[in-house]
Formats: sequence, C-alpha cells, structure tokens
Amino acid sequence: MSSGRPMIDRYRWYEYVAIYVGMFLFLGFVLSPFIEGFLVSLKPLTHLFSSPYRFWPEDGSFDAYFTMWEHVPLLGRYIFNSLLISSLATIAVLILVVPAAYAFARFEFPGSGPLLGAFLAVNMFSGAVLLIPLYRLMRSMGLLNTYFAMIVPGVAFLIPTAIWLLRTYLLRIPRELDEAAWVDGAGRLYILRRIVLPIAAPGILVVALATFIGAYAQQFIFALTFNSKSEFMPLAVGLFAFFGKERVVWNELMAASFVGIAPVMIGFIFLQRYLVAGLTAGAVKQ
Amino acid sequence: MRAFFPGERPLSELTLSSLKKSFAGTAVIKGVDLDVTQGEFVVFVGPSGCGKSTLLRMIAGLEEVTSGEIVIAGKTVNDLPPVKRGIAMVFQSYALYPHMSVYENIAFPLRVEKLPEDQVRTRVSEAARVLQLESRLQQRPGTLSGGQRQRVAIGRAIVREPKIFLFDEPLSNLDAALRADMRIELTRLHKKLGATMIYVTHDQVEALTMADKIVVLNAGQIEQVGSPLDLYHRPANRFVAGFIGNPKMNFLQGTCTAADGAGITVDLGPLGLITLPRAGSPALVGQRLEVGIRPEHLSLDAPGGFRLTIRPGIIERLGIHTVAYAPLPNGDTFVALFDGDPPVADDTDIEVSVDPALCHLFDEAGLAVGLAA
Repeated sequence: MSSGRPMIDRYRWYEYVAIYVGMFLFLGFVLSPFIEGFLVSLKPLTHLFSSPYRFWPEDGSFDAYFTMWEHVPLLGRYIFNSLLISSLATIAVLILVVPAAYAFARFEFPGSGPLLGAFLAVNMFSGAVLLIPLYRLMRSMGLLNTYFAMIVPGVAFLIPTAIWLLRTYLLRIPRELDEAAWVDGAGRLYILRRIVLPIAAPGILVVALATFIGAYAQQFIFALTFNSKSEFMPLAVGLFAFFGKERVVWNELMAASFVGIAPVMIGFIFLQRYLVAGLTAGAVKQ
Repeated sequence: MRAFFPGERPLSELTLSSLKKSFAGTAVIKGVDLDVTQGEFVVFVGPSGCGKSTLLRMIAGLEEVTSGEIVIAGKTVNDLPPVKRGIAMVFQSYALYPHMSVYENIAFPLRVEKLPEDQVRTRVSEAARVLQLESRLQQRPGTLSGGQRQRVAIGRAIVREPKIFLFDEPLSNLDAALRADMRIELTRLHKKLGATMIYVTHDQVEALTMADKIVVLNAGQIEQVGSPLDLYHRPANRFVAGFIGNPKMNFLQGTCTAADGAGITVDLGPLGLITLPRAGSPALVGQRLEVGIRPEHLSLDAPGGFRLTIRPGIIERLGIHTVAYAPLPNGDTFVALFDGDPPVADDTDIEVSVDPALCHLFDEAGLAVGLAA
C-alpha cells in the first residue's frame, strides 16, 4: 500500500482512531470555553437565566455586538489601550533585550552565569507577590493612574524570559560569522547591526510575539492595581463595566471579549508561520 | 603581484619569535619560532589538538598572545586588531553571511572600509573574475555548492588585498573529489596572486601537495620545518617520520650491537640483524633504537637487502597499489605497499626486502640518527 506517507508516519486504523479521539478530547477541553462564550454572546440576556438551560441559541442574533458599544461607550478606548500597553511593552522589551541577549550569547564576563540564573528566578515570582511594594513605589513617585505604571512593571517581568529565548537563538548563529566580520574590520556594533540582527530576525519576531502575548495577559493585574482612571483602562479591566448594579450583561460581555481579542488573534493567524519557523530554525542543517 | 629579481634577498613577511599561548594556565603553544618569506605557501600540519589552529588565530589577531612576538612586514602586531595587520582569513565553515548576496558577501570588507561604490564594484568584479563567480553574484550563499561557497569565502579575502592569507582547514567540509579539485585551484590561485599564504590542515596530503614549506606541529611545538620532500625523505624525528607518509612508516624496535664509521647494526630480535650503511658513534652500542621502514620501500622480488618474512592477514587491492597488513611477533602491524597487483594472498608467507640505505633510524629520544639515502 502506498499512501504517500513516509514509513515513520504510518499507523494502523485503530492507532488513527486513538490519535483522533485524543485530539478531539484535548481540543474540546481547551476550546469549549470559547465555544460556550461565543454562543452566550449570541443569546438574548433573558435566555441565559432560563431553566432548563439550553446550550444552542434558538433565537440567536448578533445584537449584543451592536448594543455593547452603546452601553459601554469607552469600549473602543479599552481595546485600544490594551493594544497600546502591549505594543509599548513589547517595543521596550525588544530595545532592552536585543543587546542584552547578544552580550549573554557572545561575551564571557564574570557573573554572567549567576545573572542568567537570577533572571530565571525572577520568573518564579508572579507579579502579584510584588504588587504592594510596587504600589507604594508608584504612589511615592506619583506615577499612579498613568500608562507608565501599567507598562514598566510588565516590561520588568517580561525581560528575563525574552533574554533567555533570544540568547538561545543567538547562540545558534555561528561565532565564526562574528569573527569573519571582525577580521574584515567591523566593530561589535556594526556586526550586531549588519550580521547578527538580520540573521536573528525570525528569532526576534518570536520574542516579540511571545512578549506581546505575555504583556497582553499580565496587564490585567497591573491595570487593576495601579490605575483607576477609566480612560487608561485596558480591555480586561474595562470589561467590569458590564457588571451592572443588579445584573451582569453576560452576552455583551462575551461579545466585547471576542471583539477585543479579535485583532490580536487575526495578527497571530498571519504570524504563526513565522512563530513555528522561528522556534524550529536551525534544528536541521540547511 | 610583486616579483623577485635573482639575487635579491626575499623579504621576510612574517616572523614569530618564542610565541606562547596559555588558556587558563594550560600551555597550548609552547614557544614557536618561525620565519615566513614573501610569497611562500606555508602549511601548518599536525594531529588534532596540536595547536595549529590556535597558532593561526594568533597570527590573525583572534587570540591574544601570552608572550612572544608576531612581526608582520617589519612591524610588531601583537596588539593590533586583525584589519590593521594586513591579513585576511578564510574560515573552516566559510562563515558566509546567509542574508547577503554573493556580491555583498565579497564586498563586505569594502563596505566596512566605506569605499565608494564604483571602487567596490571594480574590486568585487575583479575578484569574481579570478574565482569564476561572475554568474553567481546575485545568488545567496545558501543556493551555492560547497566549492562555490569556498570560492566566495576566498573572494572576500582577496578584495582586501592583504599581505597574508590565512586558511583554517578550508577544505575539510568538502567531499574527497571536490577537495582534490580545490587543492589544485588554491595552488593555481597562489601562483596567480603571488601572495603569502598560511594554511592549516590535519591532512598530510594537502600539506604535501600544496606547500612550499611545511611546519609540523605537535603538542604546541614545532617538530620540523621543511619542504614536503625534505620532511618525507629526511624526517628529523620519529613523530615527523610517522606523521608524513601514507601508509605510515613501520617502526621496528631493536638494540644497537655495533656502530662505526661504516655502518650501524641493530638487533631486531626475532626479525634478525640489520646493518644501516651510515656512520655512527660507538656510544650507540647497547642503546635501544628504532628502525623506520616506509611501506613503499619494501619489495617482493628484489635480491639482497634486509629480508623479512611476513604473513599478511589483510590485503587491500587498489589497482595501482596493493597494501598488505601483517602482524609482527610483538603484536604491532607491519604494513607493506607494492606496485600494481602482485601475487600475494592472505595467510600465506611472503618474503619482502628493503634496501637498508633507505631505512630511517631513531634513538631513544626519538631523534633521527644519520640520514636515509
């Protein structure tokens, strides 16, 4: 039988069944909250509390996607804030991490090992542990209720992972390229700019994406603590506007969540091939 | 480039004096003295870990010098960066920049120098012409074959017009057939440019075929410097004798029983007595000596000479040569190389002979005693 598959990828029928059952089980577990969330966003609010609860919306509509803008007029601003905070954090991380990762990948200096270890240790603290000291610091510096207060702590917690990721990528660029350029008269910064950065571009993109996701995910906790001004709120905090005095407007809340993550998700669908390429680059000798 | 007139003393291009290098207290280069004249093709050869690449990287300016002096064209360059030493280097992995075209790869050193565009174009196309890369200039290195990549790397060295070219095992990534082609191409290039070249390899064939001067290194020290045939015919010690030549020289241990102005006699135990026709001092008598016999000096049908009966266990037939491997009473393997396809068979005794004048002799310290004819 020639199925066109390499020998190593051929399975018996029951193995295929097991593989697909396993896949559906896992994906179902991961994706069901999203599916339920999406269905909720289509239902009229009254149906959500009816008994018996019906999973499938019978008179579903996209009304919530329109009414939410009226109920929470700042919604667009929240989405913009989310993207702004994450983007600025990503840019700041890249500016700091590219030279740092190059230094860790190429220079031997006293304390480089312990320093990398310390960076790893920072990841063991969640930002939450340091919230109160950070709050006091921000207050005494008069930085509460600014974008700055939501971006900078996030950047600090994202740098260690980014350095580790990019350093690993840079280590795979042969040292002989640096040496060849140095023999030809190029200085360290010239080598970084003309040789290392262009070759490391896929790796830098991976770091940027990972950082952006990280910044997007962690902005909630900093925004909740360091900011109380509505116009600076990111989406994750802004969604509380759908929590009314008596009831929660679940359908609009879900609709707003989906609209909020849509730009990021669309971006990732386009960039994910770089992500995969970047994570596996150099694994096989070209 | 520069030609010499008869009688003119060739200029010394590179001088190394008592050069030493240690990494974290471990001596890697233990005092090297060497003089390279202008236009010479010098090959550093030695087993892996002998320090030949470190020595080259020190000359290039990639490794710091622990002590001693490197002089290029009359100037001490110990503390100068590579670009100010007037050298260019070709790396083992070629070190081409994968994101640049062949043109930009070759132009890289000129871009660093900030040379005007028209000069860059002239020099790159001149290098491309010499290396027959003209049709490849717009391609990326990734699309080229091994030999073409090698030529791009050489092109990048040529455009700088350096005083000295340094090559670090440049052919070791190529397959055997291409390696033979590139050897010829490099020799041709050396003739065309007339530049000084220093070439590191662990492959004695590359050393013997390309070098004007071979430097044999072992454990951070120079064992011998000389022309290829010098090293082959007159190895100064047991190491060089064993390293140069393929298959390796056979070494037979024995004790000196007589030595005078006419000959040295060595008792090889079960293999009999051999008398080498060369002057020896009577002080040698009683010393442990080693007789070196090149496999290619053995013959099956010659009369006279030192005769030896061996029983080959393995025979390799290469058409042009036949190689026989036979165990010796002491457990070593004795190798004999015959021309063509002689009637020898496994596990059958054969009598081989060698002219004692062609044999080499080494004392207990491994130094050559007298010279082979």
